[in-house]
Amino acid sequence: MASRYDRAITVFSPDGHLFQVEYAQEAVKKGSTAVGIRGTDIVVLGVEKKSVAKLQDERTVRKICALDDHVCMAFAGLTADARVVINRARVECQSYKLTVEDPVTVEYITRFIATLKQKYTQSNGRRPFGISALIVGFDDDGIPRLYQTDPSGTYHAWKANAIGRSAKTVREFLEKNYTDDAIANDSEAIKLAIRALLEVVQSGGKNIELAIIRRNQSLKMFSAREIELQVTEIEKEKEEAEKKKSKKTT
Amino acid sequence: MRRAGAPLSGRDGGGDTMAAATFFGEVVKAPCRAGTEDQEEEEEGRRETAEDREVRRQLARKREVRLFRRQTKTSLEVSLLEKYPCSKFIIAIGNNAVAFLSSFVMNSGVWEEVGCAKLWNEWCRTTDKTHLSPAEAFCVFYHLKSSPSVFGSCARKNMQVTLLTCRHVTDYKTSESISSLHSPFLKALKTQNFKEPPCCSLLEQPNIVHDLPAAVLSYCQVWKIPAVLYLCYTDMMKLDLITVEAFKPILSSRSLKGLVKNIPQSTDILKKLLTTNEIQSNIYT
Repeated sequence: MASRYDRAITVFSPDGHLFQVEYAQEAVKKGSTAVGIRGTDIVVLGVEKKSVAKLQDERTVRKICALDDHVCMAFAGLTADARVVINRARVECQSYKLTVEDPVTVEYITRFIATLKQKYTQSNGRRPFGISALIVGFDDDGIPRLYQTDPSGTYHAWKANAIGRSAKTVREFLEKNYTDDAIANDSEAIKLAIRALLEVVQSGGKNIELAIIRRNQSLKMFSAREIELQVTEIEKEKEEAEKKKSKKTT
Repeated sequence: MRRAGAPLSGRDGGGDTMAAATFFGEVVKAPCRAGTEDQEEEEEGRRETAEDREVRRQLARKREVRLFRRQTKTSLEVSLLEKYPCSKFIIAIGNNAVAFLSSFVMNSGVWEEVGCAKLWNEWCRTTDKTHLSPAEAFCVFYHLKSSPSVFGSCARKNMQVTLLTCRHVTDYKTSESISSLHSPFLKALKTQNFKEPPCCSLLEQPNIVHDLPAAVLSYCQVWKIPAVLYLCYTDMMKLDLITVEAFKPILSSRSLKGLVKNIPQSTDILKKLLTTNEIQSNIYT
């Protein structure tokens, strides 16, 4: 039945599915994992870096992009679609600032991106965007925000979420480990993001990219060295926890 | 009396007449003005000429599956199973299943290549019979040098077949919610003569097996050969570490026991295989 209703985007199937939108969500699962965490004074975005070909310039393969000084996003899915969405979002951020003389709120720009994606699920001849995005930032009121959008054009606020390949595993890890203690301070929130990614990333810290935004500060990308330091700390803590466990049992 | 109502679709027999419903609901045959000339033309087209027969013969010859040795490029005259009769026949179909076999099974012991088969049909782009390119369908047969009883004893007696393959998880039909599925996961399907308990749960209805694994299983069922298919449902059809590792429960089964020796080394070999075979694709990030 699916094959008769999945060719044209504007056709509903008899049981109410928009198959092209659901297939677009499969395309998202082909992108590498991205995780977002909302702390009390910090928002963290971590992504699994795709391995770069030998002759490829690493700087051009970026999954985390700034939309404005106080908002940034990570995506999973079709690279080219992401580029188009990011460009439109960046233009909208500046246009809003020029018109209203205030920077965009995270919710506004998320709504803009979601509306854009929804338009492509309703016009004929155009396929949906094959990306999901995690948008983080601080509003003027100083409250940290994390939103997620998907190809159907819906958006929701989250405390922590993951998108892309193995997103389910990471989300389950976050559901277990996102506690008030875990986000008590900035470094704990960063460690939580890295630990969540280490669950699914294939070669450890080398393949992780991390970005944070602190209140009233702009986006900071972690260098490979800084990530390695965090990973070694996490591994040390794990070892100590295991030693304690084995002491308790003996 | 006027004939009203929508004409029903109608091609009956050779003639072209349309059926029409009258005002009172009776179905009458309305003669079609297109006539019956089409009938004669069709019959002529159906008659085969000698040329058609020759083309058909050539196609059949091209489609024949021949076994050959890759190194010497000579074809094998004798059927493989007669030359190397076997008690355990393991087939891996698809890149993830093949990667699993190559890293976990074929790295323990010395496996010698005994033959290779390549398929051709009208959709193939080349007719090169001996050169194997990764884009084409082909099959390489190996046998274990140190223990010739694997791939060694009477064919069809005491032979056990194990099949490994992958399928995309969107093909899996279940009444449970899709979000509760943890892919990749393993399902098994076995023939009646396979008495061992399988290493994972059996494939539920209405799911079916397709293509080559289905053909092999059907053959084994008909000829009463014990066979089991391990089907991995995954959301990554290209070569992927997590999918290949989903086959690991099979290592404890009787068919593969004794063939697998060094598991940590196999995992390293698998990782190396993945990095060398990674196709650089920038479509998805």
